[in-house]
Amino acid sequence: MEYKENAEYVMEARDLTFSYDGKVNVLEHLDVKFLKGKITVLLGANGCGKSTLFKLLTKNLYPDEGRVNLYGEDLEEYSLKEFARKVAIVHQNNIAPPDRKVETLVGYGRTPYLNAFQTAGSKEDEEAIRWAMEVTHVDSYRNRPVSELSGGQRQRVWIAMALAMMTDILFLDEPCNSLDIRYQIGIMKLVRQLNREYGMTIIMILHDINQAMTYADVLIGMKDGRIIAEGEPQEIVTPEMIRTLYGIELPVTQIDGRKYVLAV
Amino acid sequence: MRTELTEEKKKPVAPALIGVAVLLLIMIDLAINTGSLKVSMSQLYEGLFVAYDPDVATVWDLRFPRIIIAVLGGAALSVSGVLFQACMKNPIADPGVIGVSSGSSFAAVLVAGLFPSLYFFTPMLAFAGGVAACGLVYLLAFKNGLNPLRVILVGVAVNAMFSGLTQAFNSMTGGNLTGVASIANANISQKTWDDVYIISGYVALGLVLAWMMCYRCDLLSLSDQTARSLGVHVTGTRIGVSLIAVMLAAISTAELGVVSFIGLIVPHVARLLVGSNHRVLIPFSALGGAFLLLLADTLGRTIAAPYEISASILLSIVGGPMLIILIRRSDKTYGI
Repeated sequence: MEYKENAEYVMEARDLTFSYDGKVNVLEHLDVKFLKGKITVLLGANGCGKSTLFKLLTKNLYPDEGRVNLYGEDLEEYSLKEFARKVAIVHQNNIAPPDRKVETLVGYGRTPYLNAFQTAGSKEDEEAIRWAMEVTHVDSYRNRPVSELSGGQRQRVWIAMALAMMTDILFLDEPCNSLDIRYQIGIMKLVRQLNREYGMTIIMILHDINQAMTYADVLIGMKDGRIIAEGEPQEIVTPEMIRTLYGIELPVTQIDGRKYVLAV
Repeated sequence: MRTELTEEKKKPVAPALIGVAVLLLIMIDLAINTGSLKVSMSQLYEGLFVAYDPDVATVWDLRFPRIIIAVLGGAALSVSGVLFQACMKNPIADPGVIGVSSGSSFAAVLVAGLFPSLYFFTPMLAFAGGVAACGLVYLLAFKNGLNPLRVILVGVAVNAMFSGLTQAFNSMTGGNLTGVASIANANISQKTWDDVYIISGYVALGLVLAWMMCYRCDLLSLSDQTARSLGVHVTGTRIGVSLIAVMLAAISTAELGVVSFIGLIVPHVARLLVGSNHRVLIPFSALGGAFLLLLADTLGRTIAAPYEISASILLSIVGGPMLIILIRRSDKTYGI
């Protein structure tokens, strides 16, 4: 994709190189920018480097070479706490003690605004928690322990926790993983609502190509640690692109003028 | 309907805390009056504050230090267990089982046997011994995170090594240096007020620090990545909380010797009664631990009188089976 001069980018990675063992580079001289107020989806086969990129963008790993900028400043300049006030992340495989209540968990989203010995309690905290629970529709079971919730409900709680952090940027790592299709669509619609109604910049990893094509404004296709396609999904997704990304042939069809990949 | 349900299922925190506090007070009264001398509460009050009473003076000098040490030690050990469990996301972590106590004990025994003049520094050197043992467990058990069972296995090995060293040292000194033997055998029958003065400040400090970390402990129960995304330095927090846990375990070990399982039993029962929130779990475990150790010590004085069974032996008899139960159901306590 051509980066436009006047477009606003919230994050950009320049010349990013990273390896886990010091021998094989998982990422090599990678450049990428993320548009403000858009939904960007990272797509690619297992081991293509998208999770590594995700970790580098979220301060879970540090690059061997190159740098990541957030609002024009090097990510390493941000303390974890400062970063948590700007960027919220929903990771995979979340755990919590079974008796922890939904409201308590969502309240943890206020941690970046508290000192080490405080718990959420200010008016601002309460408003943020209430808003986060309303948007994600978890307020009706706010007093229930997480152990009583279904997988889809739990995922909404984790998203609510991230929203209570009141950031403009939200990262999601495979938010639909192991949810049934009804919850998957619920989560996708929630993500779109957060973007369209509240203007959040969203960067997520998805595995479902059609979901990626439907909900992404910008699609980034990765292979072997490099970006091989980037742009509007309707423009860039072609049978050739799928072949390069995944190494298999899948037909691309059109319904009502929109492209879909027959991923079966 | 739903709110009623949750109200009903809400754990009654205040009654539980008051209940365990009352139990502890009753237990203290029982402990004061267990033995050949008996003093009633009013007699005790008069003897202490109004007029000299030889019975009260005897009880005050002989039984009180022991009772206070059992109370403080029990509280310290069970809170230490709570903290280790939070740090390691592991419901079966206990300072005794993972070898921290025996590390402290070995250091304390060395001081008592080789440098008796450093007596008042025993807690600090015991702390150093505990840190060494704890560091060993973390280093040796760490492999892509801390697997609960691996922690226990490494802990058993570390524990065996330090208890062996302690026992060897005890034997080398003929087993008759009272200071060495009392720590090596977890005997608290000859405690004096001096011992109380040594331990009380440290235990109070440790308990306050532990309670201050309650919110951080709650956050440690999330996945590490998620805690980090909330701006928490997970490794730093873990080290800090572990150090407080080691301190609590070391102080009580320096006075009581190795007492295992109390940090396992009490927090487990506490979680069932008041839930996993550390703001309540820590004070409740402190009171419960004090109660349980005092109960074990008082029972040990009575069952086979005039012979004494040490509290640590009684607790091992109960604690061993408890550890097995916890291992079998540990996956239910952490992680959903």
